[in-house]
Amino acid sequence: MPPKEAVVLPSVENDEDQPYSFAVEYTGPPVTYDLPRAVPINVEKIPVAAVVSKVPLFNTELHIPVVPPILAPDRNRFSKELLLQPTVSPTSVIAFQERVSADTNNCLLSGELSSYESGELAELINNNDSSSRRLAACYVSNEHSSKLDSCDSFDKSRGSSSLARISNDDDLNKPDWGSNESVLSLDYPSSRVSSLKTGDCNNESNGDVRRPQVVTFRDIESDDGLDEEFSQDEVQAQIVRVKREPQTKGKKGSCYRCFKGNRFTEKEVCIVCDAKYCSNCVLRAMGSMPEGRKCVTCIGFPIDESKRGGLGKCSRMLKRLLNDLEVRQILKAEKLCEANQLPPEYICVNGQPLCYEELAILQSCPNPPKKLKPGNYWYDKVSGLWGKEGQKPSKIISPHLNVGGPIRPDASNGNTEVFINGREITKVELRMLQLAGVQVAGNPHFWVNEDGSYLEEGQKNTKGYIWGKAGTKLVCAVLSLPVPSKSSNPCGESLNSMNSRSVPYYLEQRTLQKILLVGSSGSGSSTIFKQAKILYKDVPFSEHERESIKLTIQTNVYGYLGMLLEGRERFEEESLAEMRKGRSSKDIEPEGEAASGSSDDIDGKNINSIGPRLKSFSDWLLKIMVSGNLEAIFPAATREYAPLVEELWKHTAIQETYNRRSELETLPSVASYYLERVFEILKTDYEPSDLDILYAEGVTSSNGLACVDFSFPQSSPDENIDTADQHDSLLRYQLIRVQARGFGENCKWLEMFEDVGMVIICVALSDYDQFSADGTNKMLLSRKFFETIVTHPTFDQMDFLLILNKFDVFEEKIERVPLTRCEWFDDFNPLISRYRTNTNSNSINNNPTLGQLAFHYIAVKFKRLYSSLTGRKLYVSHVKGLEPNSVDAALKFAREILKWDEERVNFSLSEHSFYSTEVSSFSH
Amino acid sequence: MSVAELKEKHAAATETVNNLRERLKQRRQQLLDTDVAGYARSQGKSPLTFGPTDLLCCRTLQGHTGKVYSLDWTPERNRIVSASQDGRLIVWNALTSQKTHAIKLPCAWVMTCAFSPAGQSVACGGLDSMCSIFNLNSQTDRDGNLPVSKTLSGHKGYVSCCQYVPDEDIHIITSSGDQTCVLWDITTGLRTSVFGGEFQSGHTADVLSVSINGSNSRMFVSGSCDATARLWDSRVASRAVRTFHGHEGDVNTVKFFPDGNRFGTGSDDGTCRLFDIRTGHQLQVYYQQHGDNEVPHVTSIAFSISGRLLFAGYSNGDCYVWDTLLAKVVLNLGSVQNSHEGRITCLGLSADGSALCTGSSDTNLKIWAFGGHRRVI
Repeated sequence: MPPKEAVVLPSVENDEDQPYSFAVEYTGPPVTYDLPRAVPINVEKIPVAAVVSKVPLFNTELHIPVVPPILAPDRNRFSKELLLQPTVSPTSVIAFQERVSADTNNCLLSGELSSYESGELAELINNNDSSSRRLAACYVSNEHSSKLDSCDSFDKSRGSSSLARISNDDDLNKPDWGSNESVLSLDYPSSRVSSLKTGDCNNESNGDVRRPQVVTFRDIESDDGLDEEFSQDEVQAQIVRVKREPQTKGKKGSCYRCFKGNRFTEKEVCIVCDAKYCSNCVLRAMGSMPEGRKCVTCIGFPIDESKRGGLGKCSRMLKRLLNDLEVRQILKAEKLCEANQLPPEYICVNGQPLCYEELAILQSCPNPPKKLKPGNYWYDKVSGLWGKEGQKPSKIISPHLNVGGPIRPDASNGNTEVFINGREITKVELRMLQLAGVQVAGNPHFWVNEDGSYLEEGQKNTKGYIWGKAGTKLVCAVLSLPVPSKSSNPCGESLNSMNSRSVPYYLEQRTLQKILLVGSSGSGSSTIFKQAKILYKDVPFSEHERESIKLTIQTNVYGYLGMLLEGRERFEEESLAEMRKGRSSKDIEPEGEAASGSSDDIDGKNINSIGPRLKSFSDWLLKIMVSGNLEAIFPAATREYAPLVEELWKHTAIQETYNRRSELETLPSVASYYLERVFEILKTDYEPSDLDILYAEGVTSSNGLACVDFSFPQSSPDENIDTADQHDSLLRYQLIRVQARGFGENCKWLEMFEDVGMVIICVALSDYDQFSADGTNKMLLSRKFFETIVTHPTFDQMDFLLILNKFDVFEEKIERVPLTRCEWFDDFNPLISRYRTNTNSNSINNNPTLGQLAFHYIAVKFKRLYSSLTGRKLYVSHVKGLEPNSVDAALKFAREILKWDEERVNFSLSEHSFYSTEVSSFSH
Repeated sequence: MSVAELKEKHAAATETVNNLRERLKQRRQQLLDTDVAGYARSQGKSPLTFGPTDLLCCRTLQGHTGKVYSLDWTPERNRIVSASQDGRLIVWNALTSQKTHAIKLPCAWVMTCAFSPAGQSVACGGLDSMCSIFNLNSQTDRDGNLPVSKTLSGHKGYVSCCQYVPDEDIHIITSSGDQTCVLWDITTGLRTSVFGGEFQSGHTADVLSVSINGSNSRMFVSGSCDATARLWDSRVASRAVRTFHGHEGDVNTVKFFPDGNRFGTGSDDGTCRLFDIRTGHQLQVYYQQHGDNEVPHVTSIAFSISGRLLFAGYSNGDCYVWDTLLAKVVLNLGSVQNSHEGRITCLGLSADGSALCTGSSDTNLKIWAFGGHRRVI
């Protein structure tokens, strides 16, 4: 074992009071014995070692803590005993030290108690003796060191222990170290002594226990370069990777579970803790492998970075044990599951550890750095140059990624006094620049763009292209400098693609905020959904969708026509009846036949009657409507019937009926929008406009559920930009729209939406004078629906935004129909006249319209209802579903609510009042 | 006839129907002189006892990232399909506990899943109101997703439950929030028959569950939010063969008894009930008294192969094993060692009855089996 691996403490006397202790490399003469090695341990396994401090056996009765150097069975045994102790101290690791009094050299050995899980050594040493039990027994008789369960023997053995230990080292450990190291170096080649927090040193206060130096061992990433990097940076030094170590009692090379086999039997290795299992045990030990080849106990832990390269690579054993499909699933999970991803905080770009989103940006950019390993990197955002901290650039990746901090001048540790984009370049780069023909005299500061064009800082005109010449690339290759790859996109494109980039599945879960939009039919929730699609999606409706929307609209139009025809029949009957009545009052002719005969004559003149051909079409259409097959027949039959429809539409009877459409209850108000353009719509090459789609009924989801993923577009520069804004573009929202079929439903399916961030309930304001088929006011039904949703157990503590939709219709309607038509609103007494006359009123809205007043009234009604049901505040907003800005404002409001929700944790309860004022002031 | 008159008549008719129903109920009460438990007790039957190794968790299937909502076994090979809140179907090998397929669904809100009798395809349904069929043998697309091989659309509400007609890979029965059950022909993708709905005598609220009779695959029962279960003959769509009243809450789950002459139900009223399809009588109520007022809902049930055991999952996290004969709880799976951390949401017995699979809101599935002498792997 090379001595530098060992941790040797220089002195012991002088630093009683120092909270820190430093390890230095031992430079003295070669020692005759093997040094105990510090085994990296799991810092989080604190309770195990922690017990010690309060244990009387150490604190009070012992004078010098003596510990067997590194006998693993002791350790195991020790920790087992410790586990039994009820008390726990915060000390994670206690390094026992003692002076070797016989020798006068100040060499200190530090033995170290590791958690009982670190069985690696135990295993090795157990190998020496055939069974651990025997070894444990013999060590007591041999007085190798202290017997921990008895203080007396501890004391007695004290004197001999130091001597015994050395011999012990010699005879017991020596033959073992070779093999020991070979295994250890695989797993933790470097162990680092690091400082200990003062809090951990409370053992020192224990009177006579002489334990001046306490050392903890952190195990760091296996390559030493990284180790150094970590120590450079204070921020990083705090990041301690917890290493899991397997527990085993078996002999070396055997399976960790059944302890059978030897090192030559084929074994599968856990990618976290390096435990090895034979083919009989691997399925039991690793279970269903939801994160790849990990022991069941290791699931959820980050993998051993040295095994990253092997992720997703199948072993022969797995292939033999499992079938192809199963292996594929395991390896897919291994590669893609979240726990196995590179932890972003281990990647430092320009001195800043990354967050998840930044790492995602980095990895999903068109030209990502290849085989990203933990470490410190510098990244020149302008040119896309990328390299390890303190080294020359290694690659040119996509520029303008919003990753890490600003680049530092000494990022690549250059000393040439030539700067590129604020970074002092290295000699190699300078050489390259010279060969590329760039004038570098006078220590210029260059500004290099991603296309290789460079200019001197502070100047406007491009001086040339670095990689323009064919020779430069050759030079770069010789100097092993990167050249821009061909696939690199121009900057604009890569910026744009950031929003639409595909986010990995595990990240999607993290950043997707779900918003549930519910509304009963007719509340306009589908309009809001469509509006959101049009607002936030580049391609709101795909070709396929548009085609199906077109068919839906055409079918709808036939439906409206059918309703008209139905109305026409009714009107015809009515007028006939009237005529008959009129005639029967005139004529005293008793014969019914004559009356009917004469009515036939009149029929021709009846304004509501149509010709026989149209009549048959009308009858057919009505028949289809009644049977409910409209969807099945219609879009396909459009071509055939379009001329007939044209004729029908032009017919005076239909026009007459159309003029009386207000009397047709079933005909929705949007029907006129389409009917006016019936010819155009029924053409086969009709292409619905966005407005047509907005108006269309039943387009979003005839099946009740639709969802759209979107992110709010970044606000334009002239709008107020807060710092959080750039982060916002990363946040993705999913608007899920569900249509409740009835009002009094059980809503069992609401349970499925327990993971949404907030619920938007959509209620049509204009419903207040509408009545459902059984004569209940629709607003009351909406209220009932609202109550059902907000009191649903799934939505306990959920935020609700009530959207009072169709404000435009409402404003217009309220002038005609009093709000008191709905009994819920019977105490609505707006002081309209006063407001109207007194234009100089002090109100903020100088002249609120009746509609606005009524809206506020209704909003308050709902808020009161809500707070009586849940005791919380309701957010309310009014929306005109057909106006994009209105919907945009409402959805942005929803976003704000979600943000408040995140921040609310930081606020005290008193902040709630602030929210509520915000709410009421918002809707103006 | 004016509207007022019609309404009057309707009210009168409703009144009559209710009266008749009440009389029917009373008559049934009179005829029903005993229940299963009473009779079994009088016959000197003693309740089952469970040894410590009689039902052990022998596998944990991990891999879902959301609550497990539904699971189904293949009839012969030991495979399980499970549907979860994370929008995935996973096909498991119950013996090795490995996944063979992980299917990302186009619509993440999946409520139910089913394995085809031949084990070649799986079906699932959910809030998209469609039943999607995936052929497990088809090639995956570029992203590694299995393409939908057939969608059965036509429901106007969410698909709450689906089950393949035994021994036929081409027929499936779904239940839906639109108050109907539908028998589908998978090859054509069309509805063969619709049970219930507007003009027929069917359920008057969302149908939450179906179960097909194992011994006579023409008969199936459905449980609904209208607190009834209905027995249907798949050849006669016009009306239900029988309607079973008794529950005082939504019937969340129905399951045929192994002999095919009875079926069990689980409801929001906290009871499981056993009904006889031939007499229409309720045979037994399984209800465990709880101290507090909150009555836990029964969310899923399953019968052991002999019918002696009824496994019932409750909304409070319990999973009772009932002795069906004596109506006694013999074990609570929710509280035994190694049990789920979340509540058990779905249950399924393997076709040979040797193992029980439970799905839970803690994202795991567990396989339970007799753990005495037989060692599994």
